[in-house]
Amino acid sequence: MIPKPNKPTSSSLTGKSVHEQLPPMTESNLPIAQETLEQMLNAMVPAGADDADLYIEHGTSESLALEEGRVKHVSASTHQGIGARVIKGEISGHAYTDRLEAPALMECARAARTIAESNKNQSIAIHTAQPNHQLYLPTSPSLSVTMPERKALLERLDRLARSLDPRVKQVFANVSASFSTVHLVRMDGSLLSDARPLVRLNISVVVEQNGKRETGSAGGGGRFDLTRMLEGDEAERLTREAVRLALLNLDAIAAPAGPMPVVLGPGWPGVLLHEAIGHGLEGDFNRKGSSAFSGRIGERIAAKGVTVVDDGSITERRGSLNMDDEGTPTRCTTLIEDGILTAYMQDRQNARLMGVEPTGNGRRESYAHPVMPRMTNTFMLAGKDDPKEILASMKNGLYAVNFGGGQVDITSGKFVFTTSEAYLVENGEIKAPVKGATLIGNGPDVLTRVSMIGNDLELDPGVGTCGKGGQSVPVGVGQPTLKVDEMVVGGTES
Amino acid sequence: MSADIKVAAAKLVEMAKKAGAIDADALAVNDIGENVSVRNRQIETVEREDSRGIGLRAFVKTADGLSFASASSSDLSDMGINALVDQVITMARISAADPDAMPPSGANHPTDEELRIWANRDQKESVWTLEAAREAALACEEAALEYSDRIENSEGAEAGFGNTHVAYACADGFAGEYSKSSLGLSLSVIAGSGDAMQRDYAYSRARELAKLKAPELIGREAAERAVRRMGSKSIGTRQTTVIFEPRMATSILGHLMGAINGRSVLQNRSFLAECSGEMIFPEFFQLTDDPDHPDGLGNRLFDGEGTRCAKRTIIDSGRLTGFLTDRYAAARLKSEPTGHARRGLTGDTGIGSSNLILNPGKLDSAAMLKEIGDGILVTEMMGMGVNGVTGDYSRGAAGFLIENGEIVQPVNEITIAGNLKEMFANISHLGSDLTWFGSTAVPSIAISNMTIAGQD
Repeated sequence: MIPKPNKPTSSSLTGKSVHEQLPPMTESNLPIAQETLEQMLNAMVPAGADDADLYIEHGTSESLALEEGRVKHVSASTHQGIGARVIKGEISGHAYTDRLEAPALMECARAARTIAESNKNQSIAIHTAQPNHQLYLPTSPSLSVTMPERKALLERLDRLARSLDPRVKQVFANVSASFSTVHLVRMDGSLLSDARPLVRLNISVVVEQNGKRETGSAGGGGRFDLTRMLEGDEAERLTREAVRLALLNLDAIAAPAGPMPVVLGPGWPGVLLHEAIGHGLEGDFNRKGSSAFSGRIGERIAAKGVTVVDDGSITERRGSLNMDDEGTPTRCTTLIEDGILTAYMQDRQNARLMGVEPTGNGRRESYAHPVMPRMTNTFMLAGKDDPKEILASMKNGLYAVNFGGGQVDITSGKFVFTTSEAYLVENGEIKAPVKGATLIGNGPDVLTRVSMIGNDLELDPGVGTCGKGGQSVPVGVGQPTLKVDEMVVGGTES
Repeated sequence: MSADIKVAAAKLVEMAKKAGAIDADALAVNDIGENVSVRNRQIETVEREDSRGIGLRAFVKTADGLSFASASSSDLSDMGINALVDQVITMARISAADPDAMPPSGANHPTDEELRIWANRDQKESVWTLEAAREAALACEEAALEYSDRIENSEGAEAGFGNTHVAYACADGFAGEYSKSSLGLSLSVIAGSGDAMQRDYAYSRARELAKLKAPELIGREAAERAVRRMGSKSIGTRQTTVIFEPRMATSILGHLMGAINGRSVLQNRSFLAECSGEMIFPEFFQLTDDPDHPDGLGNRLFDGEGTRCAKRTIIDSGRLTGFLTDRYAAARLKSEPTGHARRGLTGDTGIGSSNLILNPGKLDSAAMLKEIGDGILVTEMMGMGVNGVTGDYSRGAAGFLIENGEIVQPVNEITIAGNLKEMFANISHLGSDLTWFGSTAVPSIAISNMTIAGQD
């Protein structure tokens, strides 16, 4: 609650393993009596309010972590609470509590009302609303795979990583599963519910050769059952990938420094879109006029052929939701169509203030955080170019296949993202791997420099966590292979 | 209230022992806070939070040795406590035994006298009121809007205050508690419009109102910072000296803390793993961790495992004195625990400093610019391009170009790159401008021979 020393308009995306803090409810049974919720709503909502809601959440999460060959660390968390909110114009009052006894709840409702000037109340009755789409199973993802089975999986991956190469010295593996049930009571008394599973598997290794150490990591996940991570060979593939990246980095040379053409690989490199344009197209910054994209709807902000969407309605994706945290059904919103800016991403308050429809992008980290416009799954649609021809067309430059995280300054539009697998390209041919380097660019410019778009759209493997205003939410990104005619590469070889 | 959480922590440990744990410790936390934000001279949001949490870590004996697990919940009822204990014991039996397991009992705890003294100096009443916080936020933003007509937009000011009360209990009978109050005020404003917009911010955090920076000063600082960035542009690629202003210099100490974390060292995840006792900085570099400092927000009597905290010289005249440890890392590294266990309600213990203080140098900022001649003053950084295993460093930056000892131009859209081990050794000057940021006090740091990438 104390103002954070973070840059308030700087937002970041990371694919690193952060402990899943996603608050996770079983069944649709309300932990609070419906009569109490009605009393809260009636005490909280003054006449003339634009919007109000009660957000009731129950979550569980479980995590097993392996290091030094042993699953030494098993942990879990359970949390539940309620967030009450009243909005009038640009003003909003919020109160959060995890005490679910009636007196504490009524105090919470009254605290949210502090912004209201009117003493008049309304009389609202709660009624269950129709569910919207069903993008994932409304069941806990960890029920079908026991903890000993999860432990055995991690041990198997540890043995596999060590068997792949004797230079593998350390293996870290983590499997986490969370389940969050959200009930939302809106100002009109409608009651909506969503049960959200989320799983994630992460492997990272440390390799050593002649006293030189390097690291590599890989991960995957989504809104599905844990059995999915055990079926097939996805877990094994991720392990091989982590080892491959670490060994590759052992041979990496210093990255170049300066402006050059860059070819970006498909999938997770879509972090480019998330940082360069995604955050800048969120409704709050544009309502306030603090984004580099403010007031630019209808203008060209990308090359012809560039179409970017935010789609929270894809089955089982990490960034998907049946409804956003204000009860708006998620959908596919076209942000850029053939290079022209067409829409911002909106929550209810910012949509109302800007006179547009909410787009299903109102999200919160938990009941104890305010709603903000946030991305879901943000990606560029496929083009027509053959990825091989894209690479061959680059005389000298950088081929960046994979990335760590990124960050953006929404107001100036400057953004960065950092490579985790990249190669020098000479005369269209892939040469030496280079060490991790930060790429920097200007959001409103970078997509105008896209000269080729691959036919190989991929979405990321399900590892993204986006930070904004001190809140973390799971998101997805994606893109086809892209050629950007010029970006500044921040290596050490000038 | 405070009695609730102390009782809950003690009950968790007692129930865990009854349920078969051979050792256990528990934390219980109560957070109360209020927050108000204003924008363009109007209230925007008012927030209030009241949350509690309990966390238990328990060790059980298995055929292969000791194993443990941890879990947290917000249900402080007897039923909630019983459920948490059952969950942790069940998970601990699934967890793999660790031959080096280090159960919490027997740590070097603080004395009853110390606990009494610390309990009495805690501030019990609220440090601020919502009305006063709102007025401060409004005054802060007003000062920025009045500073210059080039301040064309505000992202708003935010004022908050709260209290965190923590109780710890261990199976060896030790029980301690403390409460921490804090308050903060921050502001972000925008200079210019359209393509030329530049944003900057200022903030202050303190334990008591008397130590919070005046709202008007924060407002003017944010405005001045945003205005001086107007007209920023990129510059050509070069090797040069980089001055990190104090706000940015905190991150350099952060990377050092990550690398001397005893657990990272054990896991071969630190580029300083072989450097204990070595000169890794110039001789004038003196860094102290002080868990009892009047200006620090990181004060603590005992760490996350009940180990008594003590003042420690981390870098002594350039030399790394050793790694920071909890009980587990200390046992594995065959050293004494340094009292740096960091602990959340659930999850394994981590390692972290209390209040870090880097001794300042003698140069004020004008003298430092003269001394380095040409270089870059960095006032903002972006991205996470730091590899803790190799020390390779590459981040986005903005700041000012320095030529012939003078600031000549605001710059942005550049990267700064190097390797942390070399960067530490290449520190050429420390400023006299020691500044506190919560639990870190640092002066400006000048590092020679870094690579700047950009475009003229």
